Amino acid sequence: MKKTMTRFIPFFIMASFLVTGCNQNIKSTTTAAKPSVSTEAKKDQGPVYKGKVVGKSNKAKQISIEVGKDKDAKTVMVSFDDKTKGLEYAAAGEGAIIAYEMRDGVPFATVIKPKLATLPPGVTVITPTEVKTLIDSNKDFLLVDSRPGNRYSASHLPGAVSIPVCEMQELLQNLPKEKDKLLIFYCGGPT
Amino acid sequence: MSTKSAGQAVKAGYKNIRVMLAGEPAWVKAGYPTYANYGWVCRGNIVLIDLRSAEKDAAARIPRSVSMPFADFADNYDEIPIKAPVVLYSDKDEETTAAMKILHDNGYKKVSLVEGNFLGWKRVGGSLEKGPVVTDVRWKRILAEGEVSVAEFERALADPKVATILDVRTKAEVASGKFPSSQHIPLDELCKDMDQFVCKIRDLQKDEKIYIHCTTGARAEMAYKELKKRDFNAFYLVAEVDCKGNDCSIEE
Repeated sequence: MKKTMTRFIPFFIMASFLVTGCNQNIKSTTTAAKPSVSTEAKKDQGPVYKGKVVGKSNKAKQISIEVGKDKDAKTVMVSFDDKTKGLEYAAAGEGAIIAYEMRDGVPFATVIKPKLATLPPGVTVITPTEVKTLIDSNKDFLLVDSRPGNRYSASHLPGAVSIPVCEMQELLQNLPKEKDKLLIFYCGGPT
Repeated sequence: MSTKSAGQAVKAGYKNIRVMLAGEPAWVKAGYPTYANYGWVCRGNIVLIDLRSAEKDAAARIPRSVSMPFADFADNYDEIPIKAPVVLYSDKDEETTAAMKILHDNGYKKVSLVEGNFLGWKRVGGSLEKGPVVTDVRWKRILAEGEVSVAEFERALADPKVATILDVRTKAEVASGKFPSSQHIPLDELCKDMDQFVCKIRDLQKDEKIYIHCTTGARAEMAYKELKKRDFNAFYLVAEVDCKGNDCSIEE
C-alpha cells in the first residue's frame, strides 16, 4: 500500500492541476490515507475565495468565482493583473482558491491555486493510462461515469456505465453485489 | 462528482475503489478514444462523419451522416466547425482512430466514436438510410440558456424597443468604437455599483430586455449572471464583436 501511494504522489500533484468539474465537497473523515499536498493552502496569508470559477476575462482583467454553499452561494468578482500568480488555474468550471487583497475597495487576486479534491478514506487515484491497461487486458471491474447523463451520451470511456452523481439510489442498485470488486469512478476535468 | 460517488460507494461498503481524478478530458488528451451512445448518434446536435467510401455511404449509412472518405479526410476535415461535437465511424477501426487523431491534433475538443463502429451499429439494429451522399456540413450551435442569437441581437440594434443593448467592454475598447445605440458600463463597474445600475441605464424597467455584448461573449456571460441574480431580464451574445467608430461587425 505504501509503495502504491508513493508511486501515485507525483501523479496526484499533476492531477491536482487538471482536476475540475468534479464536486469536491466530500471531506475525508481521516487524514491517514490522504496525500499531504493540500496543506500548502494553509501557508497562505490573508483572505481567500474558495469555489468554482464562473469565468475569466483577460481583457477586463476580472475573474468571477462562485463562493459559499447552497443558500449562501454568491458570485464575487476579483480583479487581477500580470503579477497575479497561477492565473492558469482560473479557468471556467475549475475549482480554485484565490488569495486576494483589497485595493481601492476592490478585491485583487494575488495568488490562485487549484482547489484539490479530497478522496474518501481508502480510495486511491488511478491514471488514464492505468485505466486503459485494465480495459485492454479485459480485467473485471466496473467503470462508472459520474457526470450528468448528457455528457456521458456525447463522449464516454469504453465500457463505462452512466450513473450521475445525484442518483445515489440508482448508484447503489447498479453496483455489483461483490463488495471487493474493483470500482473506478471518473468525471469531467478541465474544459 | 467522481469523488462524491466514490464516497457513496465507500459508505455502501465497497472496499476496492479508485478514482480517475484527471477525468474524461485527460483520457482524451492521452489520445484514447471515447464513445457516443446510440441515442446521441441518432438525435444529438452533432456532425456525424462517415469515413467509408462514397459508394458505401450511398448504399447504407447511419442517418444524418456527412460523407468524408478517409482518403481525403486530412484535406476536408476543416469544413467541420471547430466547436461542433463530432462523431466518426467507418468499417475500419484504424481509420476512425487516425481521423480522431487528426481532429484532436487540430484543436477539436469534442470527438467521439460509434461504439463497435459501423458494424456495431448494424449489429444492434441501428437504422440505416441510403441515397445520394451528403457532403455539406450543416451544423448550428444550439444557444445556451441566457444566450441571444445574432439575428435577435441585430433586431434590437435596428429597433431600440426590442431591447437595451449593454456594452460591458473596457473604456479603452469603447474609445475606438461602439454600437451607436448601446449603453456602456464596463464589467468591473457594473458589479461594483450594482445598486446604481438602474440609474446608469436610462429609463430601464425591470422587465425590459437587456442584450449584453463584449468582444467574444466571456464578459457578457459574466455580466449576464450578475444581472440575472438581480432579476433583470438579461441575455448575452456569444460572437466576435469588432467596432471601428460607429461601424461594428458581428461574427459568429
